[in-house]
Amino acid sequence: MSKRTLTLVIGAVIVGGALWVGLRRGANENSAANGTPTPVSPTSWGEPDLTGVWKGEALGASTERDSFNLTTLEGLYKPEARARMQKMSTKDDPSLRCAPPAFPRAAMLGHAVQIIQRPGFAYVFTEAYPVFRIIPTTGRPHTAEQYLYPTYMGDSTARWEGDTLVVDVNSFNGEGWLAGPLDKPTSASTGIWLTSPVMHVVERWRRIDADTLEYQARVEDPEMLTVPWETPTVTLKRQPVETIEEALCRPEDGPDTYLARLGS
Amino acid sequence: MSVKRLAVVTVLAGAGLVLATYFAVVASPPAAAQVRPYTPPQSQKGADWTERIGELLPLGVETRAEATERVVNYKPDPVKYPVPRTPWDGKPDFSGVYWPDATIAPPPVPLESLYRPEAREYREGGGAARGLIDWRGIDTPNYHCWPPSPVNGSMGGTIQLVSAPGYLLLLNEGSSNFRIIPIVGENGRRPSAARRPSFQGSSVGHWEGDTLVIDVTNFNGKPWLGPARPPNQLPQTSSDALRIVERWSRPDAQVFEYRLVVEDQKMLTAPWTGATERRGIMPYDTVLESLCFLDPELDARHRDYAAQQAAKKGAAAR
Repeated sequence: MSKRTLTLVIGAVIVGGALWVGLRRGANENSAANGTPTPVSPTSWGEPDLTGVWKGEALGASTERDSFNLTTLEGLYKPEARARMQKMSTKDDPSLRCAPPAFPRAAMLGHAVQIIQRPGFAYVFTEAYPVFRIIPTTGRPHTAEQYLYPTYMGDSTARWEGDTLVVDVNSFNGEGWLAGPLDKPTSASTGIWLTSPVMHVVERWRRIDADTLEYQARVEDPEMLTVPWETPTVTLKRQPVETIEEALCRPEDGPDTYLARLGS
Repeated sequence: MSVKRLAVVTVLAGAGLVLATYFAVVASPPAAAQVRPYTPPQSQKGADWTERIGELLPLGVETRAEATERVVNYKPDPVKYPVPRTPWDGKPDFSGVYWPDATIAPPPVPLESLYRPEAREYREGGGAARGLIDWRGIDTPNYHCWPPSPVNGSMGGTIQLVSAPGYLLLLNEGSSNFRIIPIVGENGRRPSAARRPSFQGSSVGHWEGDTLVIDVTNFNGKPWLGPARPPNQLPQTSSDALRIVERWSRPDAQVFEYRLVVEDQKMLTAPWTGATERRGIMPYDTVLESLCFLDPELDARHRDYAAQQAAKKGAAAR
């Protein structure tokens, strides 16, 4: 390659880059001025940027209002699961003894969630319970079976579908509940929302604009449910803080604290 | 700069960017190839089997003592194992899973020597844990799911560090506690004034060369800085005046090092310089879920053990 050609190529790259940055900045300013959602800049390595502290409304269900599609979920439980639930108490909710609610239940609690990314990974922290998730975002396979063991939060792996992070979660321990003991969408509700170790969750996290993140999940659990259950789309708003609060769940705090965390 | 030199620099920079991206995104360490928790054969289980765990480990697995000795004696070699650097700011990349914690330089003076005499009564009662933690028995803050001592950076046994743009993350295995540490950058980050005082405090980091200096304040006055050892070693309590300045460095790709200075004018007569700790990197990219919560079975075992110990003490006294 001659010196002249090289110079031309480098010049074109620099001019092109400057034009791209300029056009992008102009587009952002225009959209901010006319009230449309501000496009979100990607991370410096080119992934959609989910970084931030996010919080949604507390969701749940009573006979008057169902904001988490729990009426549908209740109707999906198999007869044998219903029989088990009839014999249990709402006091059996493992969250009442500080076991962390997994997503999607964690998304309905109305407590802040923090997401931080680095190339190849997203890390999700919850303020309701002191727990973190490590989510590979390269689409790599789940942890190999020989090293996998069942957990409350499950084993996650994710890939980007356009601007949506699609997270596949398996290897749950079957002890978590899908909603809380106070969620009773019908007069016949038990407030018990069992899961099994074969539960499989597919989550979709999507940044809508600078201040908004959307979350939606599909839950398959052939031991418990006749068909998969879809959560509604949960809207989370950006919080003007650097970090979530430290939120320990300690036995000495007593059940009142746990119930407060559950949004009662 | 000549055109030729400019071209060479551009090509090298491009190649560097491609390689950095490759190593950061594609060639991440192998998926969690963890050694499963070791359970001794049933026949070897007994009241004191935990004391023999070092003898019972499978061949090729280091005991904690062996690993500690290896890490203490390790000579960092940044030529052979260059310090990894982040692609976004070129600062040392702390990311990795580390174990065990090894002391490479002890504190110049024991922490105990700096406690104010007038704090004794408060410490006798367990400080903020008065009525909760029976430190003269076998009870510890750990049993109550309190985070590890802030004098150890709130780090448990096995930890994962994650460098991310604007943050250092500390993820604990063995409890699910974590620290999210904002790093002062172009945004001039400071801890939020609205944040509640906490066990792990509010952290904010800044770079001094390749050392990450973290100022931790806004503690809730509850943590014990060191364990109690009945009957004579009182709980090393803290107050809401606690302030810790940590210095984190990465001498090479195999280890990171941690040192700190503790101030607490209500408890200590002078600032205390802690030990210099070093941890060795492990070939994983995730710690495992390991939670601390009130487990009725664990609680029953805890009480049984306490009763056994009390019975032993009673027998010895007779």
